[in-house]
Amino acid sequence: MAIARTQREIRQRAPLLLIGLLMGCFALMAFDARENGDATKQHVVRTWAQAVAAPFQRLASGVGGAGVGFFKHIGDLRHASAENEGLKQRLAGMEVELSQTRHAADENERLKALLDLKEKNEYQSVMAKVIARDPSLWFDTITLNRGRMSGIELNMPVVTPGGIVGRVVGTGPWVSQVMLITDERAAAGAIVGQLGESNALGSVRGLGESGLVEMRYVSGLEKVEAGDYVVTTGQDGIYPAGLNVGQVVEVKHGSATTPHVIHIRPGARLDALEEVAVLKYKPPPRTSPDQTLPNVEKK
Amino acid sequence: MRQLKIAVVLALAVILQSSLKAVWPPLSYVDLPLIVVVYFALQRDALQALVIGVAAGLATDALGAGGLLGAGGFSKTLVAFVIASLSTRLTLDNPLVRIPVLAGAALLDATVYVLLHRMLGQPPLAPFVQTAGFKLIGTTIVGTILLFLLERMFSERARQRRHFAFRRRVAKRSAFRLGRRRH
Repeated sequence: MAIARTQREIRQRAPLLLIGLLMGCFALMAFDARENGDATKQHVVRTWAQAVAAPFQRLASGVGGAGVGFFKHIGDLRHASAENEGLKQRLAGMEVELSQTRHAADENERLKALLDLKEKNEYQSVMAKVIARDPSLWFDTITLNRGRMSGIELNMPVVTPGGIVGRVVGTGPWVSQVMLITDERAAAGAIVGQLGESNALGSVRGLGESGLVEMRYVSGLEKVEAGDYVVTTGQDGIYPAGLNVGQVVEVKHGSATTPHVIHIRPGARLDALEEVAVLKYKPPPRTSPDQTLPNVEKK
Repeated sequence: MRQLKIAVVLALAVILQSSLKAVWPPLSYVDLPLIVVVYFALQRDALQALVIGVAAGLATDALGAGGLLGAGGFSKTLVAFVIASLSTRLTLDNPLVRIPVLAGAALLDATVYVLLHRMLGQPPLAPFVQTAGFKLIGTTIVGTILLFLLERMFSERARQRRHFAFRRRVAKRSAFRLGRRRH
């Protein structure tokens, strides 16, 4: 069934086909660039391509994970005997530590029950597995094995026990795509220190390549040090308040007139994500401004 | 049959590209769909190379959410055309010559992809020089091996070898049967 083409035919038709294909791709790109600004829109082509590829991606990442694990185990065996000696010595020390930790854990449980942390049950979550990453080198989004069928919707926050991971930017029937917090286009409202105790409010944005995030607009008068923890404020309408963002690694101190520039290492291990939780969080509706006030623009 | 084989190889390359990155991130520096595009572009059929290039690029774009849909299609189509045109003018069948071809393809693909994103106001996250350098090294090393494997799978010589192997097996079996009957 192969169609035999002469080199002359190919030479005549190829430039025309090239121009047609390039123009088609360019039109598609221009359309996609326009759509990219709108976070509430679904990208139909991507959603369905992901949905079709998901079973194969799941299979490939499973097989690949097993393969990498096998070679890792072989490598680990070389270090095993040296480690064994060291571990035996550490074990004796650990046994003493363990009894102290058990005591602390019991105390912690009792205190937690006393506090009755209601907000823990405030929003349900969907556990999901990372089955793929953006095939392009230049961007870093992840694909989860749960989608609309599991109740995942656009802009839902994605977290791990370590901290926030990102938000859902695309949902298919059984897969969803997540933009990581390190993406330059991602942002979240955050505060350095504890909510209600600190005034170091600002906005966290991704820095891309470095794996860090940058916090801006924190008043230069606020005291911020490397090692401080940063948590979400809930004012961005995506992430609920009080979730860990990460730890301050570097501060370029500002002054009374210039804000601090703070670099934060995300609490979630974004380079080695395996399982995440998608929070079924609906931000509280924004209150419309009181139309009777004199400074409100009348509709 | 050949078209189906090509489609399967292409789909496998695109799916592996996204899945293996989730397993071990350094594998992302090997551009499997680009290697497939380069292989078919070296077959001196520019029309086939263009179709494979655009299909590989668009499939890669569709499976990601970061880049622009169509940017990968654009860059890979251009790479396919350049290599296909070169292969009709120069002899690129030598495995040693394929090394610079793969390196050039990786560099051209990365440059066009990043330029397109910058033009449309969507700068990529990764630093260009470092990422393009790693991609060039990874794609060239793995590509040289994979091109050899693809050659064995698709080339006319490989097809003939398989065909003759089958005929040899049939001939041996017939001789064996005939021999038994004689006894």
